[in-house]
Amino acid sequence: MVSWKVRGALTGALVLGFAGATSPAWCADAGAPAAPVSQEQLNAAAGDANNFLHTNGNYDQTRYFPGKQINTSNVGKLHPAWIFQTEVKESLETTPIVVSGVMYVTTSFDHVYAINAKTGEEYWHYKHAMGPITTYCCGPNNRGVAVYDDKVYLATLDAKLIALDAKTGAIAWQTDIADPSLGYSETMAPTAVNGKILIGTNGGEYGIRGFVRAYDAKTGKLIWNFDTSPENSVGVWAKTDATGRDMHRDIEAEKAQLAKAGDPYKTVGGGVWQNPSIDLKTNRIYFVVGNPSPDLDGAIRPGDNLYTESLVSVDLDTGKYVCHFQFIPHDVWDLDAVSPTVLVDAKDKDGNVVPAVIHGNKIGQVFVNSRKDCSLIRFSEPMVSQEGTWTLPTAEGARMLPGANGGVEWSPMAVNPELGLTYAVNLHQPMTYQVQSSPYPGGKLWLGGAFKVIATEESFGNVTAVDYNTGKIAWQVKTPLPMMGGALTTAGGLMFTGEGTGWFRAYDAKDGKVLWSFFAGAGVNAPPASYSVDGKQYIVVGAGGNTQIDFKRGNNIIAFTVD
Amino acid sequence: MQCPVLSTTEARDEAMFRSIRLTAPAAVVAGLLFSTTALADDPIAEKAKLCATCHGEQGVPTQKNIPVIWGQNEGYLIFQLRDFKSGARKNDLMSPIAAGIDPNDINAFAAYFSKLKWPNLQQAPAPADVAAKAQATAASVGCPGCHLAYFQGDGTTARLAGQNHDYLLKTMNDFRDKTRGNNPGMSDLMNATSPEDIGALAQYLAALQIDQYLNQGN
Repeated sequence: MVSWKVRGALTGALVLGFAGATSPAWCADAGAPAAPVSQEQLNAAAGDANNFLHTNGNYDQTRYFPGKQINTSNVGKLHPAWIFQTEVKESLETTPIVVSGVMYVTTSFDHVYAINAKTGEEYWHYKHAMGPITTYCCGPNNRGVAVYDDKVYLATLDAKLIALDAKTGAIAWQTDIADPSLGYSETMAPTAVNGKILIGTNGGEYGIRGFVRAYDAKTGKLIWNFDTSPENSVGVWAKTDATGRDMHRDIEAEKAQLAKAGDPYKTVGGGVWQNPSIDLKTNRIYFVVGNPSPDLDGAIRPGDNLYTESLVSVDLDTGKYVCHFQFIPHDVWDLDAVSPTVLVDAKDKDGNVVPAVIHGNKIGQVFVNSRKDCSLIRFSEPMVSQEGTWTLPTAEGARMLPGANGGVEWSPMAVNPELGLTYAVNLHQPMTYQVQSSPYPGGKLWLGGAFKVIATEESFGNVTAVDYNTGKIAWQVKTPLPMMGGALTTAGGLMFTGEGTGWFRAYDAKDGKVLWSFFAGAGVNAPPASYSVDGKQYIVVGAGGNTQIDFKRGNNIIAFTVD
Repeated sequence: MQCPVLSTTEARDEAMFRSIRLTAPAAVVAGLLFSTTALADDPIAEKAKLCATCHGEQGVPTQKNIPVIWGQNEGYLIFQLRDFKSGARKNDLMSPIAAGIDPNDINAFAAYFSKLKWPNLQQAPAPADVAAKAQATAASVGCPGCHLAYFQGDGTTARLAGQNHDYLLKTMNDFRDKTRGNNPGMSDLMNATSPEDIGALAQYLAALQIDQYLNQGN
């Protein structure tokens, strides 16, 4: 049965590939039986064991799936139900979105597929007509779509926001988010909420001025914009990071540069790579802001470079600033805040359970902050080596850990509220940091130096469970390659994540014991999802490797189930 | 007026050699070559014929230090023509030619050349030890992060695979010593790479043939 389903899906892909030589960008087959998605459904996604409606599962972004048909006792029987092969054999970071049996996946270069979530057969395929100008960092990735009402929303490498008809894949509207020739690009999935489509931007390696924006879901018109660098981005001249470690800043030299050249806010970067979490009770959103530009040369961007490397909260209706907390002021190591925020209820310093927001930072620690005022509650034990932190980059190159891909990259964490654990995937990649100075290059790559992997040293990864009520590591498993992709946890007591080697594994959420493994043939570097159709639960994940860390490419979307 | 004169191989070669020897004549030639009086029905295709003087009739450059532009990525070509015209990128041959290009033609030139088939320059593969050194270098500074897995590039990032060896070598060294100044990120990365490793990269990249990997979704 399995082989037949695989064959069927492959045939569909092959037919599509043949037609693709002469067909237009959008190819509709019979159309998808797409059911409209209501705001009530989106609000209730955390308890929905049939659908996977948000890139990170729900507005809290816990990536906790409430279904438990697949659980610790039967996960050993998990096997492929179908494999769908996309047209694009390139880096795959998509989270499949599932609505009433219809699955939407994206690929590199901004293709979208609507698939029968039960059989793996294709309903339609949208291929974005990419403009000639794209300037993006870390691969031509796309992390997925948002769904709302009768539309599917996509953001593209050439910095457009597009609404597609969920039934046909036809374009309903599209709008320009920003100018790609100035370094703006989109790889994140949008977020749909209360008639708005929220989107951030990439570009921290190109001297952008970052933002988060809300667009009207029906028309594509801009509702509000929040610049991630305020006109006064100097801050408080903080000498230490969020954990109290001296960052060895030359404050006097920075002040002299500020007097000479002014506030660098217009080109100081601050991309927002991942979805915000949304507190529906307080009408606030929480997101993290990425690195300042240029990455390694702090001399020409004096000050704390607000709000780079920060947790930020703004009002959902207006985009008005609420609060922020900066993890790494004036970063010169590209150790930014990328992995999406997660809303949890956590113990504060007095032991009271309070609304909190957590984030796995590239420095390799989980930070727990108050949702009320963004203040720090605690930070976890380091999940990776922080040897030499914070050694300043030099012209010759200085070794430090974590490397520039961080201890936790863009990979979303998952949270199991029953266990009070958050699961993060880590990288151990020793690098040298080498600083060079150059003026703003007008949208060209602007690193302010180079980071080099030290080839003679071992690189590896970890899968780590952190108790967010204590900051202690509950369990940790070493992996042969640095980890990038993200996690899913379920009410069945499981945690799923994939590896660059091609292995996709299920862990016991309590103790990290590996309960099941599947070799996918290409890097499994995409966040898994889960859903149910006709009473049967599935786990689904993309296996397409990764550009940023150069893991083996592929083009498979694989759905698993137990019979 | 100049097109008929340059319609023969001899004339093109003569024009090229004059251009190589003398910058000022290159500017004069360029100004005339791109003048609107020389247009036929397909203005860009007609104008682009003149680029063959250096970049080759079938996309094979006439000199080893001249880049392949047939099949190069459209966004990259736009940026380079824009930068030559603005002076952000300088070259004794191309700068005066770019100065004569109508700004409105830049995108059309880029689109035209990007759609032509990349030629096989028949450059010898790097020996195994050189290839290994090149691959390790590329992994260390993260070349595939922008130039992608097969060094095909995309958008405003250049294709490197199968590029003219001497041009690759010169370009990486020009980035390294900032002779080429229109991409500081590349200068930083090349500055962090030794001349020996750059030599290995040039030899390795020049021989890569990647036709089978192209047009996979982009």
